[in-house]
Amino acid sequence: MDNLVVNNIRQRPVRALVSVTGVALGVALVMLFTGLSRGMSNDMQRRSSNLRAEIIFTRSGGMELTSSTANLSTKYADELRKVEGVASVVPVIRYPFQSGRGFGFEMIEGTDWDAYAAMNGVRVVEGRAPQAVDEVIVDETKAAGGKNGVGKSLSIFGGKPYRVVGVYSPESGARVKMSLAAMQDALESPGKCSYILVKCQDGVAAEELARRIGAQLPGNKIQLTRDIVTNIEQSVPYLGVFLRALVVLSAIVSGLVVMLAMYTTITERTREIGVLKALGASRGFIVGLIEQEALLISLLGLVVGFIVSLAAGYLIHRAYGLWFEYGWRWALVAASIGVGGGLLGALYPAMRAASLDAVAALSYE
Amino acid sequence: MKTILQAENLTKVYRVGSVDVHALRGVSLDVEEGEFLAIMGPSGCGKSTLLHLMGGLLTPTEGRISVDGEDMTAASDARRTDIRRRKIGFVFQRFNLFPTLTAEGNLRLAERIHAGGRDNDKEAEGQRREVLKLLKLEDKMHHKPLELSGGEQQRVALARAVINRPAIILADEPTGNLDTENSAIVLNMFQEMNYRFNQTIVMITHNPEAAAMCRRIVQMRDGQIVAPSTGVQL
Ligand SMILES: Nc1ncnc2c1ncn2[C@@H]1O[C@H](COP(=O)(O)OP(=O)(O)OP(=O)(O)O)[C@@H](O)[C@H]1O
Ligand SMILES: [Mg+2]
Repeated sequence: MDNLVVNNIRQRPVRALVSVTGVALGVALVMLFTGLSRGMSNDMQRRSSNLRAEIIFTRSGGMELTSSTANLSTKYADELRKVEGVASVVPVIRYPFQSGRGFGFEMIEGTDWDAYAAMNGVRVVEGRAPQAVDEVIVDETKAAGGKNGVGKSLSIFGGKPYRVVGVYSPESGARVKMSLAAMQDALESPGKCSYILVKCQDGVAAEELARRIGAQLPGNKIQLTRDIVTNIEQSVPYLGVFLRALVVLSAIVSGLVVMLAMYTTITERTREIGVLKALGASRGFIVGLIEQEALLISLLGLVVGFIVSLAAGYLIHRAYGLWFEYGWRWALVAASIGVGGGLLGALYPAMRAASLDAVAALSYE
Repeated sequence: MKTILQAENLTKVYRVGSVDVHALRGVSLDVEEGEFLAIMGPSGCGKSTLLHLMGGLLTPTEGRISVDGEDMTAASDARRTDIRRRKIGFVFQRFNLFPTLTAEGNLRLAERIHAGGRDNDKEAEGQRREVLKLLKLEDKMHHKPLELSGGEQQRVALARAVINRPAIILADEPTGNLDTENSAIVLNMFQEMNYRFNQTIVMITHNPEAAAMCRRIVQMRDGQIVAPSTGVQL
């Protein structure tokens, strides 16, 4: 191809590669972080929407699906059973643990398996329910690939091995569960749990029951399952701000990288710019040429960035079980920062080139 | 005959630090349509400065220039660029072709700039073929400048200048980087362009033989024309 813009890029493959990488990095960062936040949020939503219990009873002080203190006495379970309209109650302990590869943490729940399963419509699809204090059951996602399947062992509390004795489906709450007693034992909090799931009797409105529970057991927090914030962007404070800051930073990185590349380009080609001027090229024409080059670099960076994010998302998912879900909206944002940053970054060098003194540029060595 | 270029009482002062360098001290020159004019003179006498003023790459400190009826003195930078695009073709001592483009790419770029960024039309296609034939460049079109000899490069540069049929070609020592043989070839080409297309050419040269090919020689010294309009008949 006999095109000034394309040939200029080909002339300096390393520089092109560096600037393409810079743009790609910005794009990939935005894609990966937003994809992760979306993926994790959807994942949690999926799991918590499988809870059949309408009401979650906790100590005041709050209950998020991410919270994890065992500060609620299981005696409340008996009190709750006495409230009119309650069909069943299941106390649950929830606790974070470091997952195998040392990246991020997962949740484990301790609960009386049969009661939990009956309440939430979960069944054992392989093996059996956990009984002994060192037994756990995992969901199908966790078991997938065989790494954590039946017969394998997981290290959960202080490196103590736990045997996987069963696999359940569908996914519901934490992916790893053990018996309530085993967990109380492990956490040294006998008689305690994190929250109690409450299921209404048929025909009883959840709001109505929640009010009644509040009246009879005052001073506690009673939430409807459907109201629990399952959107991670809202439940992790400042995540939105973080994502926006990330977008701005990525745009700046793309812009700076392209700016630097274009800057060295025009210095290198000062004489050519002088020749363009001698040929009668307008300022607009010269700015256009340089912006075209920046656009091409940015577009290449964009493509590379998308490919990298898809590949990295897949690999990270395979290795650590983190979920990535890419949305069109964020892809568009990433695309516009890549290209916008590049074009904006090139603007200053382009304007400088356009306003070079022609005679001086022509005699530039 | 029509006057293509008019320069009236041009002065040009460069300011270097606190020192004023008087590069031109009142130069007046008319160039007629179809003329092939040589400018000669010792180094530093202001030849290039004059040429750059005529092409609108510089503005005079004083005086007036008009090209093909358009006043360049009062024009803005953008306007001068526009006049240059439409009316002027430059040829330089160092060829100044774009090294990443083939000979053809260099010509197309000039055409594109001339057409104001649009792509080339049919008419340009025909013109290009005619020029290439005259300059014997037809089989060199797919070569990059580094694959061409100096003489060939300068012929491509001449083609680039002439291809848009400017009112005037301004050449600054076009044979300065060429050996005798290639100089002769390139000069012949200039003459050919002048003869076939009635192309107006102003050429700076140190080479008396080159100057001898021109219809008129202007001698300069210390920023002034010392021997104006010395007619040298062909
Ligand atoms: N940008 C500039 N700044 C300061 N002085 C300059 C500049 N350009 C040219 N001059 C001075 O102006 C005078 C005329 O320069 P010019 O380049 O026009 O000479 P010339 O006749 O083309 O010389 P040569 O034959 O060596 O090319 C010289 O003294 C030169 O040093
Ligand atoms: Mg000179």
